[in-house]
Amino acid sequence: MQNIKKLALAFGVASTLSLGLAPVANAAETLKIGFVGVTSGAKAGWGISNVRCMQTRAKWVNDEGGIKIGDTTYNIEIVTWDTQDNTTRAKEGMEKMVQEGIHYVIGPNTDPTAAAVRPVAERDGVMYFPYAFPKELYTKPASNAVLGMIANYQSGPAIYKYLKENKGVKSIAFLAANESDALSQREGGIQAAKALGLKVLAQDAYQSDTRDFAPAVTPIVKLKPDLLVLSGVAGGTAPLIIRAARELGYTGLMSAETAQDAMQLKDGAGDLANGFISVGGASTPEIRSAMMEEFIRRYTEDHGQYDDESNTKVYAMEYILETLKANPKAINDVEEFKKTMDTLSVPNPYMKGDRKLEYVGLTSFGQKRQVGIPMVVTEYQDGEFQTLFVTNVD
Amino acid sequence: MEQIVVNGLYLGAQYALIALGLTLIFALMNVLNFAHGQMYVLGGYMTYLVYGKLGMPFALGLAVSALTLLAVGAVVEKFLFRPVLRKSARDESSMLLAAGLAFFFDSIILLLFGQKQHGVPKIIEGVQNWGDFTVVIPNDKIVVGVCTVLMIAAFIIFMQYTKPGRAMRALAQDRTAAQLMGVSADRYGMLGFALGAMLAGLAGGLLVATTGVSSGIGGSISIKAFLMVMIGGAGVVPGAIAGGFILGMMESFGLSYLRAYGDITYLVIFASLMVFLSIRPHGLMGKPWG
Amino acid sequence: MAKNIKIAAGAGVFLFMILAVVPWLLIKTGRGDLMSVLTSVALLSVISSGVWLTFFIGRINIGQGAYALMGGYVSAILVVKYGVLFWWTLPLAGLFCAAASVLIGLPILRLRGVYFAMVTLTLTEVARLLAQALSITNGPRGITNIPPPGGVEFFGLTLIPDFAELENLRLGFYYLAVVLMILCFAAMWRLVNSRLGFLCRSLQQNEELASSIGVNIGYLRVLAYAISSFLGGVGGAVFAAIVQSIYPATFQIQESVNFMLYCFLGGLSYVFGPMLGTLVLYMGWDLLFKTGAYQLLIFSSTLIVLILFLPNGLLSLRLPWRK
Repeated sequence: MQNIKKLALAFGVASTLSLGLAPVANAAETLKIGFVGVTSGAKAGWGISNVRCMQTRAKWVNDEGGIKIGDTTYNIEIVTWDTQDNTTRAKEGMEKMVQEGIHYVIGPNTDPTAAAVRPVAERDGVMYFPYAFPKELYTKPASNAVLGMIANYQSGPAIYKYLKENKGVKSIAFLAANESDALSQREGGIQAAKALGLKVLAQDAYQSDTRDFAPAVTPIVKLKPDLLVLSGVAGGTAPLIIRAARELGYTGLMSAETAQDAMQLKDGAGDLANGFISVGGASTPEIRSAMMEEFIRRYTEDHGQYDDESNTKVYAMEYILETLKANPKAINDVEEFKKTMDTLSVPNPYMKGDRKLEYVGLTSFGQKRQVGIPMVVTEYQDGEFQTLFVTNVD
Repeated sequence: MEQIVVNGLYLGAQYALIALGLTLIFALMNVLNFAHGQMYVLGGYMTYLVYGKLGMPFALGLAVSALTLLAVGAVVEKFLFRPVLRKSARDESSMLLAAGLAFFFDSIILLLFGQKQHGVPKIIEGVQNWGDFTVVIPNDKIVVGVCTVLMIAAFIIFMQYTKPGRAMRALAQDRTAAQLMGVSADRYGMLGFALGAMLAGLAGGLLVATTGVSSGIGGSISIKAFLMVMIGGAGVVPGAIAGGFILGMMESFGLSYLRAYGDITYLVIFASLMVFLSIRPHGLMGKPWG
Repeated sequence: MAKNIKIAAGAGVFLFMILAVVPWLLIKTGRGDLMSVLTSVALLSVISSGVWLTFFIGRINIGQGAYALMGGYVSAILVVKYGVLFWWTLPLAGLFCAAASVLIGLPILRLRGVYFAMVTLTLTEVARLLAQALSITNGPRGITNIPPPGGVEFFGLTLIPDFAELENLRLGFYYLAVVLMILCFAAMWRLVNSRLGFLCRSLQQNEELASSIGVNIGYLRVLAYAISSFLGGVGGAVFAAIVQSIYPATFQIQESVNFMLYCFLGGLSYVFGPMLGTLVLYMGWDLLFKTGAYQLLIFSSTLIVLILFLPNGLLSLRLPWRK
């Protein structure tokens, strides 16, 4: 009895509290953009670079007096939600975004959490930009997810082909963390390698909490592959693997299909990371526009240090803003947004030359559900990325 | 083959050092310290700051890590664990506190040091290569390995031959009897907890030299340490050391020999651990309590 | 007698609140997010009450995530690959987990204290790795096309509507979760106050003594563990249906630890402890979401303070106006 009363009391207090925290509806000229992703725990790096991109860009826009969409000028407000890389929390986060009246959300960062937010987002009209690769998210009947980066099944073939033709790579080995995202990417990489006629020597996995990689890379080093691909590797883990493999005498090439951070590579592996190949957006000084330099400057000013993963992650928000500018009706109507996605074509402000922001993905998903980011394949050299080649995804 | 053994031994030494502190705390206070991994990370960052950022000697970094964690451990024991253990009806309630502390340290570390992986300059350059790549060990790993073994040895000697060491062993063996003999449970409990935290910090500081440090890894390190402690037997120092080496060897051999059958290395390791504990419910050398 | 009437009245008020007042209020104020959170709380408290039951027989269980994952997969595979109606898979998932837990429990329930805790912790990781390695679970790719629960008709009378056609799907899942929670805690209440409950309590206090006076401790332990796993499986199955997907990482070690923490926070000596613990911990995190980067710091500090003052759980708090 006593306990039941206490329970009722707690329920009451909790509901009152959360009702009290309900948003005040004065958002006449505030454009809210949401983030649902992981910003704590082992994978915090992935989400934090997203959030910081969004916050930097929002502050920049607001400093300049807001963004004009149609006849109204909006200030941007970023609403963030930490999923703790947990599916239930992720679903709750998307519900919260719906409640806040948000129609455009960036994230989540992993396969399970992206799948978990899908029912809510599809049902309640939220466009979300996951950094997860499963094709079911982007192919029909799903229509509200937009892949925020280049998938490894798109960049992998291009990289392997380049290395096969230019560096004489004939054999290849894959190493991935023993978890859904990385294993799926390893599978995609193996298919791409086989299609190119490369010999797959190894497909190994390590436990995600590994810190000393010598036991995991020893068998691969013995096989002497021409190329070692780190599938779905996190920015913090790559330098550890590179260092372990090089110290054990591995001399072949190494590459990753996820964005990496030059500072972490330098810090963790030093010169041993030279020649490491990865993919980025506006990553290298040769291709960056003045606006990208300004973005990096503001980012560094706001958050202490820059993160090269943001070279790719800067784009999702820009796509949302540009699409809204092109079609002001989309601000509260995602169907309008989808219509404009098929036709949008505006200059890419972060790159030199006449590159365009256009949604892509027809080949991979049968509909334009991917942000078009120039695929800049880079090579790490003494603390900086250098451009190997640039192509596009269709 | 030789390389696999060397890898396993080195990994095992790392694990043993991590597990020591955990088992000490468990032996003395019956507390399963969920925040052990976070203490390891904190120690790592201290050495990173002193040696990597400020460019002072590595040994000084280790000393700072040790002292910081010694203080943290003492404070946590005196102001958090002791009152909670005194008031709670069941000893296990301390697990909630330990988990809360783990969250707390996680958030502090993330706020202070950011989400990126950090490394330090090599403490010593060069690689030893015996028999044309039969066995390859980088020099820094040799140094770290030797330091690890020395620390473990020093700890055993301390526990075996000094007065506080004997007092703590007595407390671990039979709390009531030790108290009746005049051992202050409060004082030595606090000392033990502080020492355990210090060992975590030392391990973190030492391993920064080879694997760097990152803010989100604490939780998984705690869990790995639990496993080693269980293999050897909870609360027994030689058990933790044995558990560390066994797990290190299993990983090293498993990753080389089970790879032909798919990604099952860790499945096999964990499943066999369950079977092992079902057969020997107190680990290798644990006592039938806990 | 008066006590029983008071209990019945209290229970009635509580049921009326969560079945009528709360949903009405949430719909009126348009708080769909809150309804979804409460749905999760109800389900998580069902899963945690299983953990609580193992605490009741004196075992620290950090393996409930394994059964939640197993239940989710059983339901998902039956629905997606064999076209079984969701409502049938619910008890099947529970029974499958209970059966599995008997096989696993027979050897490991001999362990005690931290050893049992660690073995169950390992079990969670084994379950994840197994789901990743098997092909029936679709390996690391997970199962991502689970449809919403279908309807049940009985001679043209709709007993349960088809969830895919529900106007308010959230409300549907809310009622499903809350009804499960009520059934679960009613059963738990009954169990704890029955002869069986007193036997279980004797296990918690002294197994050897209980055994010496003729209590079949082996049978009791396995029975309690099977019930616990049954609840885990049912909860996991509903979760899979709500997010319409399941991955090996859907329930990991962190969730197993959380289930245990919910029990601790609520209070180990109270049947309703897991319910309150889940509500406070799970919803507490959600309420703090506006604090951004400081969310975890505030959350963990509050948690530590709570434990410091109420180490025996929230329900050990003596309300000032009662003796």
